[in-house]
Amino acid sequence: MTALVKLTGVGKGYGSVIALRDVSLEVGAGEVVCVLGDNGAGKSTLIKIVAGLHRHDTGTYEVDGRPVAFASPRDALDLGIATVYQDLAVVPLMPVWRNFFLGSEKRKGLGRLDVDLMRRTTRDELLAMGIDLRDVDQPIGTLSGGERQCVAIARAVYFGAKVLVLDEPTAALGVKQAGVVLRYIVQARERGLGVVFITHNPHHAYPVGDRFLILNRGRPIGYHAKDEITREELTALMAGGAELEQLAHELQATGTTAAARELNEDARELGITDDD
Amino acid sequence: MTQATAEGSADERLARRDPLRRLLVRPEFGALIGAVALFVLFSVTADAFLQTSSFSNVLYSASTFGIMAVGVSLLMIGGEFDLSAGVMVISSALVASLVSFQLTLNVWAGVAISLVVTLALGVLNGVLYVWTRLPSFIVTLATFLMLAGANLGVTKAVTGNVASDSIGDMDGFQSAKGLFASEVGIGGVNVKVTVFWWIGFTAVATWILLRTRAGNWIFAVGGNADSARAVGVPVARTKIALFAGVAFCAWFSGMHLLFAFPAIQSGEGIGNEFFYIICAVIGGCLLTGGYGSAIGAAIGAFIYGMVNQGIVYAGWNPDWFRFFLGAALLAATVLNHVVRRRAER
Amino acid sequence: MRTPTTRGRLLTLTTAALALTAALAGCSSSGGKKAEESTSPAGGGGPRLKIAMVTHSGAGDTFWDIVQKGAKAAAAKDNVQFLYSANPDGGQQAQLVQAAIDQKVDGIVVTLAKPDALKDVLAKAAAAKIPVVSINSGADASARLGALAHFGQDESVAGEAAGQQLAKIGAKKALCVVHEQGNVGLEARCAGAKKTFGGSMQNLYVTGTDMPQVKSAVTAKLQADKGIDGVLTLGAPFAATAVQSAKEAGSTAKIGTFDMNKDLIASIKDGSIQFAVDQQPYLQGYEAVDGLWLYRNNGNVLGGGRPVLTGPAIVTKDNADQIAPFAERGTR
Repeated sequence: MTALVKLTGVGKGYGSVIALRDVSLEVGAGEVVCVLGDNGAGKSTLIKIVAGLHRHDTGTYEVDGRPVAFASPRDALDLGIATVYQDLAVVPLMPVWRNFFLGSEKRKGLGRLDVDLMRRTTRDELLAMGIDLRDVDQPIGTLSGGERQCVAIARAVYFGAKVLVLDEPTAALGVKQAGVVLRYIVQARERGLGVVFITHNPHHAYPVGDRFLILNRGRPIGYHAKDEITREELTALMAGGAELEQLAHELQATGTTAAARELNEDARELGITDDD
Repeated sequence: MTQATAEGSADERLARRDPLRRLLVRPEFGALIGAVALFVLFSVTADAFLQTSSFSNVLYSASTFGIMAVGVSLLMIGGEFDLSAGVMVISSALVASLVSFQLTLNVWAGVAISLVVTLALGVLNGVLYVWTRLPSFIVTLATFLMLAGANLGVTKAVTGNVASDSIGDMDGFQSAKGLFASEVGIGGVNVKVTVFWWIGFTAVATWILLRTRAGNWIFAVGGNADSARAVGVPVARTKIALFAGVAFCAWFSGMHLLFAFPAIQSGEGIGNEFFYIICAVIGGCLLTGGYGSAIGAAIGAFIYGMVNQGIVYAGWNPDWFRFFLGAALLAATVLNHVVRRRAER
Repeated sequence: MRTPTTRGRLLTLTTAALALTAALAGCSSSGGKKAEESTSPAGGGGPRLKIAMVTHSGAGDTFWDIVQKGAKAAAAKDNVQFLYSANPDGGQQAQLVQAAIDQKVDGIVVTLAKPDALKDVLAKAAAAKIPVVSINSGADASARLGALAHFGQDESVAGEAAGQQLAKIGAKKALCVVHEQGNVGLEARCAGAKKTFGGSMQNLYVTGTDMPQVKSAVTAKLQADKGIDGVLTLGAPFAATAVQSAKEAGSTAKIGTFDMNKDLIASIKDGSIQFAVDQQPYLQGYEAVDGLWLYRNNGNVLGGGRPVLTGPAIVTKDNADQIAPFAERGTR
């Protein structure tokens, strides 16, 4: 089966700064690929390339086996790659169903909105994903953060997305709210969508992910299928990645390799003990 | 854990299904309560207030604000202000008057040219806003000052006076007056045609807001322009259209002035823009955009007209006129706010 | 059919403007606009003077337009360069007077609507030996602030005249429509009218910048009090609106007004408005400039230290025909 989205050796620089280097990634239908990394790891650059906001400098980007170079997010959307950004998801004061159809309103004759159809569709689509909203007329701002993310995701799915790119959908959420979103990601996978799930939280990534790409300072430091890696290893890799960065700073500051090695050890230990 | 979430929001949902509460959270509901309260107040304190002819007069007063409040409320829902609206009314009337008189054209030609010019002014406001990315408050403050100056300067340059020449004896005046400034007898009372236009415009605006794609976009660009842009709403186009909508209302109001009064003083209209905004705010429009209704703005205009004339009917001490006006407006707005907050709780 | 003419005029204007620009660019010391002005038929033939007028007028007021026309007429006759500026705010009006002093004008015409705000700056004018005359408002403060003369209408006297006219047309209960709340001059008019009217009179305050609101407020008042049989407005445009209001309210109230314009003359002729109390703004502008010119050229002072009254001049059906052509011209 051809991958829906396939990046091979993709790199991107902004002027003299190399933001992303040699990243490979593959998402098939019914697959969740998690992209993990701390702040500044290159996650947002990667997402912008996949979403069509920026163009990659090196490597290839293929959709359905064909190489692409998007000029705008619209192009990506047309190929079924929908990106749900963390903050840009919804208009809080508008009813749920209006948010759901915003920008792609259903109309009947004379330019009238087909309100009933849109209300019903919204309710059904959300229900199909396990969110039971009896009143789709309530402002979306009254929904919980997780539910709001879910509406935005459901919207992307309804409008024909084949690949969902989710930018830190669980970042600002509490434990329960994050659970709602994670369950939704599983639902999307079961519907046969490919999902690129960006997060810095290995505990969120591990239960839903099929493959894990770990980035650090713009470089991949690990790309593993689920059966190749345990949750602990993933966490350690994440934490280690973060500490490596600190280590580099320390090395520069002290110039002593011995101290650096010690720090490295500490970091590893910390990473593992953090887990449970 | 997802179970807990569902349960947590279940209470909220139950409360929301209550139809009374649903009415209470409508943007215009607070204003409606305020309007009823003021109506009762003036009915009790002013003998003449309840006469049908008096009511017709109150409606007329309200309609001249209400027609503008329609456009202004839509613009405010779209997240913007137009401070040039008050002066634009006069500009529109002056353009029609000057063009008709100076070129000795049929009055209707002046009316049509004025429509084009006024809409262009509205589009200019919108385009300036989009281009400069400055707050609309600043952009329209600039056009407000420019228009106020141009009204005076152009009128003076063309007529040699500061008021427009009377066009009352020119071709087309009577038929245009019929459209913009006539009266309709209903049950022995003469009601100004502006009242019907006001109701009509409000109905159309309400339909646009709630039942068309454009309405969806208006709420969206006011509520969160970035989100709207991200899902493909043409934000700039929507905002420009909203400024043009205000201009259309200004044109209509200008035509009413032109055909209802013999001459247009070029210095008129300054300050009215705030009353339009006040009407919209009393009617439940949020100053920050994204929320409100055209019906609310109509009720706001009704409140404003009622207070304006009710004080006269009640014969309250005229020295305190503005004080009463301010107090009544404050009371209406606070009531509106309190009702909405209680309902949302 | 006027199109070609207007276009032609526009063309002429443009050509003239271009010619002027060319002349200025060449820094011509003779000819051009200056030459044109100095060859105007100067009455006294004295040296060219520069006179500034600083008023408290808001923008777009017909009244002040007529004042300026009078002043310009006198300026043209007397070979005076006339400068006009205005600001309704007392402090800013004072700044404008200061600007005139800085320009070393030969005379200043001011209105004293807010005499206290202008006190200091007029002292500076005196120190700079610039003669000052006051017009329109501030008759009582004029001499105290060092003005040579005052040309204006005593608002109380004018009000009294209006009150008498109202009584004459048979009104018993009257309304005084004040279109700018807190304006002392307008209040004085109403107070004066009340004094001589005999019947009862009350004030109605309206927003002068919003005609529909003026109309509904007057309508409301006439509906609320059917006994009102006379309406006195304090500005010409409001009289026309009051006529509509009376019709709407089914009131037979008779209407009189302060001030004039050409539409008003027509209304007086057809009897819908009974009278107008004209303070002759043209005269205020004209006399002020001419007065300064006389003082500069011949040491004359008009009025003997007392205000020179430019009004009230009563216009009724009887003399409307005579005044109509002047109002049509925009100078009455």
